[in-house]
Amino acid sequence: MNLKTLANRLRALWMLLLVGIILSFASPVFLTSTNLLNVGLAASVAALLAVGQTYVIILAEIDLSVGAALGFSAVVTAQVLRSDGLLPALAAGVAVGVAVGLINGLLVTKARMPSFIATLATMSVLGGLSLQLTSGNPVAVTDYTFQGIGQNRLAGIPVPVLIMLVVFAVFGFVLARTRYGRFVYATGDNAEAARLSGIRTQRVKVLAFVISGVLAALAGFILTARLSTAEPTAGTGLELEAIAAVIIGGTSLAGGRGTLVGTLVGALVLGVIDNGMNLLDVSPFLQDVVKGLVILLAVFLDRNLDALRGLVTRRSGPGDAAPSSTTPELARQ
Amino acid sequence: MRIELADVHKSFGDNHVLRGVGFQIAPGEVLAMAGENGAGKSTITRIISGAHQPDAGRILVDGTPVVLKDPQAAMALGIEVIYQEFQQNLFPHLSVAENMYVLDRERRFGRMLVAKRRMIEAAEAALQKLDVHLDVRRPVSSLNVAERQMVEIAKAMTHEPSLLILDEPTAALDERESERLFTQVRRLRDAGVSVIYISHRMDEVFDLADRIVVLRDGRVTLDEAVENLETRQVVTAMVGEGVDDFYPKDRNATDQVVLETKGVAGSDFHDIDVQVRAGEVLGIGGVVGCGRSTLLRALFGLDPMTGGSVTIDGSPVRVRNPREAIESRIAYLSPDRQAEGLCTALSVEANVSLASLHRFTGVSGVVRRAGERTETGAVMTDLRVRAASPAMAVGSLSGGNQQKALFAKWVMAGPRVLLMDEPTRGVDVGAKTEIYRIINKLTADGVAVVLVSSDLPELVAMSDRVVVMREGRIVTELTGDRVNEQSILEHALVGAA
Repeated sequence: MNLKTLANRLRALWMLLLVGIILSFASPVFLTSTNLLNVGLAASVAALLAVGQTYVIILAEIDLSVGAALGFSAVVTAQVLRSDGLLPALAAGVAVGVAVGLINGLLVTKARMPSFIATLATMSVLGGLSLQLTSGNPVAVTDYTFQGIGQNRLAGIPVPVLIMLVVFAVFGFVLARTRYGRFVYATGDNAEAARLSGIRTQRVKVLAFVISGVLAALAGFILTARLSTAEPTAGTGLELEAIAAVIIGGTSLAGGRGTLVGTLVGALVLGVIDNGMNLLDVSPFLQDVVKGLVILLAVFLDRNLDALRGLVTRRSGPGDAAPSSTTPELARQ
Repeated sequence: MRIELADVHKSFGDNHVLRGVGFQIAPGEVLAMAGENGAGKSTITRIISGAHQPDAGRILVDGTPVVLKDPQAAMALGIEVIYQEFQQNLFPHLSVAENMYVLDRERRFGRMLVAKRRMIEAAEAALQKLDVHLDVRRPVSSLNVAERQMVEIAKAMTHEPSLLILDEPTAALDERESERLFTQVRRLRDAGVSVIYISHRMDEVFDLADRIVVLRDGRVTLDEAVENLETRQVVTAMVGEGVDDFYPKDRNATDQVVLETKGVAGSDFHDIDVQVRAGEVLGIGGVVGCGRSTLLRALFGLDPMTGGSVTIDGSPVRVRNPREAIESRIAYLSPDRQAEGLCTALSVEANVSLASLHRFTGVSGVVRRAGERTETGAVMTDLRVRAASPAMAVGSLSGGNQQKALFAKWVMAGPRVLLMDEPTRGVDVGAKTEIYRIINKLTADGVAVVLVSSDLPELVAMSDRVVVMREGRIVTELTGDRVNEQSILEHALVGAA
């Protein structure tokens, strides 16, 4: 893929460059390596959730439970860490992720529930379980090794950023180059055609939800380690942040299209905006407003860039609008 | 109303779709418009219905030039179109009556409580006129395709059109339903309505039309009264060259039985015993609903099989889902390319290799892209799938090339048995011939082919043998000279009428 097609497919990249350029003029601090690593560090948790979410959304489903799954696995991990030590704690956290993903996947495939409803329900259940388990109190973490996951650096780069990059590389490769990845796209585009081609579409979906759950657990490790404490409500709202990153990255909610490179850029766009507004001292209340507007702008550009480009070419030359398939409906109205 | 098109031109960008089209339609005339996909039929339809404006040329109504600036202007002149995608013009959750008067309900019936009663009566009367018996309070979603089409026609008739354009109206209808539609069309013609009838099917065109206009590359290549024409002349005008081999059937049948069913039964078919030999095409005749489509689906594991046994090359196979069918080397070409055939957003290449991907992956699951590209490329060349690049989305190919890509997927899977349901539905004449060549190629390789088609000339020409099904059972087997349209229809319909 050459640079031109990449830029064309990855419109979020333009967004990232634009925001980056504006911020590097607006703030002297922005374009320093320390600050850029901070952006990566801050974006890493939502970015990990967005990886699983990308798989699920390409399958034309959605996983609203990732934030709550992060919170639940974080408190389970922290409690096991206090009683049984590091390895059992990590195993327990991953087990929670697998279990949540499996339940979501089976609800969507075997019980035939719409994923929006199924994961909305598991989100509520997991949120409640986290609070019940901890009586609503944060669980402190004192294990140095565990804290290292969130606080150490390797060759100057924060470990969460490294984990994020490795996860994107591995899952990006799986999506783009393996049989399973191909099945994800095919099932998301047309599940019936995929089934008729011999693909076990239900299994493909269940596995995607499991990936989403496990990565939520991993994101929970990072967040807990960074803060040295597991908050039962730590993941609240992060599912929406992850979905926003996926959508900004150009993945279609209708399924069948999307890339993890796009999602990474989408997560970084959100991270850079957060960071920039902090540097520029924007009121925290207004930050959400700006973020919402950015999401709208990114999706608007993604959906309408071709139409906008068409306007420009039509002015300069003969019209390029092909007879569209919507004409019949228009004709009847 | 007499409508005349004079020297009409239309381009989309660099694509000159119409290059000076002119013809007339007289009142009470059925004009058939034929031509391959892309010949310009749809564009003419849209120009006459006001959806597109011509770049040059004139439209005259009763000798006076008119400008049809939008569909409303055309409707005001009494021009009604029933598009091929007519289902999209109906609202599935509204009732039949509400759909029929969706544009002008208040103007016709007012807003009072009695309005609904009056609307239902009017709808019943309108359907009665067409000899259609339906409860007009039913939601459109509960109707079958033929019934929906009748509703759409009745809806058009409520506007008392003087010109009705029907675009491929029988694409989704079976023999009997089509016949009823033809009766309606003739009735309209006798009432003085002009009809433009667009169809790929020669038998229909000759049966129904007074005059035939053929388009090729945006020009009229034939405009002649039907009694002076033969099928061959029309097809030649469409494709532009002699078509000696419209149905180029090679005989490749051997004695070696590949597929054998004994007493197979399912939801709407029973006691199906068939044998298909290597290199043989077994046609299945019958009206829609006779069980032949469900039989194919059941053999491929899509619909339940409630009894009987199936063997392939002598060994019993048990198929509970498509995956097991593919493992038993059975392939199935669905009649609904969009819903069940292709993943339209995926590349041509990914679609072609989808059922054979395991061949390009090891234990790691990583796809060997070079090998995939070579093999899919070879199959695509072999089957003449024309795509600018194997990486382009399959949905952006023409209908004929999409269908060939679907064939390529199954050819690539290397089946012993290929079940095909309506393999040439909605593809143009040129692509049809290429698909017949693909079938020849498969039989030459020893594949056993089962062919279900509503296109009788195709079924007759391409099958070595035909079994006819009626009400879920095989009623006869036709071989040799007895494989003809007449005897297939007789056996398919007798007792059912």
